[in-house]
Formats: sequence, structure tokens, C-alpha cells
Amino acid sequence: MSVLVAVSHLIKNFEIKPRDFLRGGEVAIQVRHILKSIGFGEEMVRRASICAYESEINVVMYGGPGTLLLIADEDMITIEVRDKGEGIEDVEMAMKEGFSTSTDEYREMGFGAGMGLPNIKKNSDHFEIHSKKGEGTYLKISIRGENSSDSSGEK
Amino acid sequence: VTHLVKNRKDTNYVQIDETLCNGCVLCMKVCPTKAIRTKDQRVANFVGVCIDCGECIRVCPRGAINAVTTANDNIDKSNAVLSFSPVLCSQFFGGDSPNKVYSGLKKMGFLDVVEPYEIMEMFNVAMGLYINESRKKKGSPRPLISPVCPVVVRLIAYRFPSLFKNIPPILPPRELVAREIKKHAMEVYGRKVKVFHVTPCSAKMISIKQPIMVQKSYLDGAIGINNVFVELMEQMRRLGKDKDFGKPVRVAIGWAKSGGEIAHIGDGNFLAVSGMQETIGYLQKIEMGLYEEVDYVEFRTCPEGCIGGPLTVGDKYQAKNNIRWLMQKFGVERLANDNDVKKLYEKDWFFVKREGQIFERERPRHSLAEGIERQKHVEEIHQLLPQKECGVCGSPDCQTFAEDVVDGRASLESCIFLNPHKGNGEKG
Repeated sequence: MSVLVAVSHLIKNFEIKPRDFLRGGEVAIQVRHILKSIGFGEEMVRRASICAYESEINVVMYGGPGTLLLIADEDMITIEVRDKGEGIEDVEMAMKEGFSTSTDEYREMGFGAGMGLPNIKKNSDHFEIHSKKGEGTYLKISIRGENSSDSSGEK
Repeated sequence: VTHLVKNRKDTNYVQIDETLCNGCVLCMKVCPTKAIRTKDQRVANFVGVCIDCGECIRVCPRGAINAVTTANDNIDKSNAVLSFSPVLCSQFFGGDSPNKVYSGLKKMGFLDVVEPYEIMEMFNVAMGLYINESRKKKGSPRPLISPVCPVVVRLIAYRFPSLFKNIPPILPPRELVAREIKKHAMEVYGRKVKVFHVTPCSAKMISIKQPIMVQKSYLDGAIGINNVFVELMEQMRRLGKDKDFGKPVRVAIGWAKSGGEIAHIGDGNFLAVSGMQETIGYLQKIEMGLYEEVDYVEFRTCPEGCIGGPLTVGDKYQAKNNIRWLMQKFGVERLANDNDVKKLYEKDWFFVKREGQIFERERPRHSLAEGIERQKHVEEIHQLLPQKECGVCGSPDCQTFAEDVVDGRASLESCIFLNPHKGNGEKG
């Protein structure tokens, strides 16, 4: 974990360990605490926490070692998640609700219902995903402030 | 919640006895709202929002923390009607029947004692109807969260305000019982009465004096089971042979333990979660949109449910076994009539009208820009700290200490790792 100091931004990097189910979700909980302490509105914190949680669990389940980078400024919360894991073969398919490459074992644990990525998309204002089979995945998620003037309608 | 924060200062029902406290870190460590700090390693005190959960009462090795309930001397027994939590019936390990417990209570000099069981059964039916309705309505919050545990309601108000909509606006049984006693007081007793609830719960007082679900509680006070136990046992001994021995017990007796409330709601996906850490873990995940497939969660922050309450007398596992034994040995009966309940439900008999402004989240006083600067400062200080989470500085953990330093509530010098010769206690 390291902290970079930038002008009027809070930047914080978190490491995510693959297969660590015991602590899976801890990063999202820390993200939530930080955003709440800063004073972001309830709904914005909720949406950002969901995105952080879903992407963290994705890394825990399928990713190699990964990182979650939180960038917060007055108007926007940005979450970038990188991992060196399995990668996704067909990103378009993975974005469909209910599509999942999850194993039965994971499903029994209550994960892998194929709602992760669609849920991130649903709860963000801007969502980017780049992935290559065997190399890893990069996600960029932005959540705009309730009063933010810049709303280009990107969904 | 602003309303509560304001009122909080003048009434604290969980209190620390400064003469017994030696300033150890245990209470501070378990506090789920991080409301406790120790001062100069001598004494613990509340600085933040206490939700009266009683976790600190349980861990204090010196017995320095207690929950204040209505003192016996302050009750005019001739005008006081008692109701009680079914946990009371689990506390007598000699095989006494719930009827004997009830008869014993009646000998204690109060105007009357009213059993809560029927209304608890009715509550179950009403909640079942509510769950069914909500299942059909698109966009209804899921899962629904039981309104019964006052600590859960407070936890949600302070830490998970977005989940407030998940709590059905149905009055908990203790409030319904008190309301009905008062409604019929003139015809039954010929006068107005006060209603007191015998409870294992440290948060019952605050839920009565500063309620969240209702504008005003129908109850007038709470009495800890630990406060009536000795006298009640004596009254029960005097009653002699248990005349009601073997008479079926009511199903609502099961509410004493975790899972008792959801046992008779009907068909659906219901969870019973008990314990503070487990409850917080679930609430965090529910807030993140998980568990939408679940209809209803019975949360109890006390371990094993209300039998784990801080104002109990008996061991919770023995109490649990006692409930099991009573139900098995005596058999159970359920007397509420579903059709009658349905009619009352349709007349809004169970519902509370909520006052929205009470639940508004307290907004931080700083602007977002200031909040970001503050958080950056917190992170910088946190980086300097040893992350040993020892609590010697007087804050519960390094993260909270960093926040306290930034907010001017603590000095960085108090960290014994950064200042090995200048621990908090040796200052000056």
C-alpha cells in the first residue's frame, strides 16, 4: 500500500491477493471508509463501494496478483483495477448479465453468478475494460458527483 | 440521525465507572462505532456515538461498564404493568416452566404482568404478509431487515444509513404490547398505567428514551433481567410446586435465541445472523448489493441472539439448551389466528409512521476539498505509524489514531513506538 500526494486529489493504491477469500472484500471496505470520511454523498459512496467490491472479488477469483488504485477528487471518484490473471477471452460476453466462466465450486460459495461486470457497469458513470486472455485485465471505473456539471451521458 | 447525535450527550445508558476502570484497551478495541478512547492510560471514556450495544460491558474484566436501566425505586408499582422478553424464561436452569416464571413475576407487586407471546406470533404473520407484498413490488429493497434488535436499527442509522429503507415500518412486539396495554388501561385497570419491559438488552433504554423507529416509545422504561432475577427466583421458590408444569409453551419462546423470529414467518429465504462482527459484515455486503436473493434477515448483535444479551444472568449456551428442552419437553402451541391478523394488518395495526428527517445522515462539516486534504493528511500519518494496533496511545487502532491526530484529538507523541520514552502515561 502506498500513498501518492497530488494537488487536490487523494490517490491510494491497494494490493489484492488472488485466492484470499478470507480477506476478499477488505479493500472495498477500506475504500468505503475513506470515501465516507472525505464526505462524499451516500449514494456516490454506495456505488463506488459496489464497484470496488465487485472488481476486487473478480481479482480474488480469477486474477493474478492485482492492484486497486483509488483516485478521489471533488467531482469524481475513479477506480483503476489491474491484474495479471487469466484475462477474459470474450469481453463482450462477460459483460452480459448471467454469463460466467465460474466453476461450480465458486458458485457454491455464492460467487460467480455472472453479475460482477454488469453490476460495475450499472453502478458507474464511465466504465472501461481491456483484457487479453492469459495476460490480465484492466478496469477503469468513474463515478461522478451528484452535483458534477460535467455529465456527458457516457454510460 | 442529527437528532440523535444532538441528544446523545445528555443520556448515555452504557456507562463507565471511573473508579473501577484502569484504562486498559479492551472496551476500546471491541467498540463497533469506535466511540471509546482511553485518557492518559488511566480511564476509558466515550467520545463518539455510542449505540448501546453492550460489547464493552461483556469484555470489561473489571466490571467497570454497566448499562443503566430503570431503577426499581423509581417505579410506582401500583401503576406499573410489566411485560418481558422471552429470554427471561430461559434463565432458570432448574426446569421451571414459563408459566411459573410468569406467576413469579405476578407476585412481585406490580399492577399486572402481560405475556408478550401472542403479539410476537401476530408480528410474525404480519411480517410474512409484508414480505410477500414487497416481493411482488418491483424495486423494493432487498433483503428486508428485522426491526426487532434496537442495536441493529442504530447501527444502520449511524453506519449504514442507505439500508434504512430495508427496515419494514412495523413496530417490534415490545412496542405493540405496550401500546395495547395503554390503549386498554382505562377499561382493564380503571386508570392510566406505565409499562416497563424486562429485558436482557443494554440498548432497550435508549430505544425507549430516544427512539429511532417511532416519535415516542409506548414503553416507559426497561428493567434488566439481572435486576429482577434474585427477587423473582425467591417468589418462584415460594410458589412451591410448579402447577403448570407440562403445559405447552408458546412458539414465541424461541425468539430468545437466534433464528427464533424467522422460525415461523412462513415460506421464503430467511437468514438469522447473530453477533456484532457477523452483523456488520453482512450489512457491509448488503450495502454493496449482495444477498438480494434473501427475503429477510433477523439480525441480533448479541452472540446466539438475545440470550447473549449483556443483562442476562445465565450462560447463553445453557439458556439455549433450556429453550430447546422446554419446547421439546412441554410441546409448543401457537394461538394467533392468521385471518384476524390479516384484518388488523390491513387496518395498519402493526405499522409505524416514520418521521423522515430523523434519519437524515449527519453530513461532515467540511467541504469535499477539505475532506480530501484531511484524508491525505490521515494517510500520511498512518504511514508513519507502526501498524501494531496496540491501543496504548489511547485510540483503538492506528487508523483511528491517525484520524484523531489530524482532528486535533490526539498528539502524535502518544505513540509509544514513535516515542519509546514518551508513552502517553509518562507525559509531563
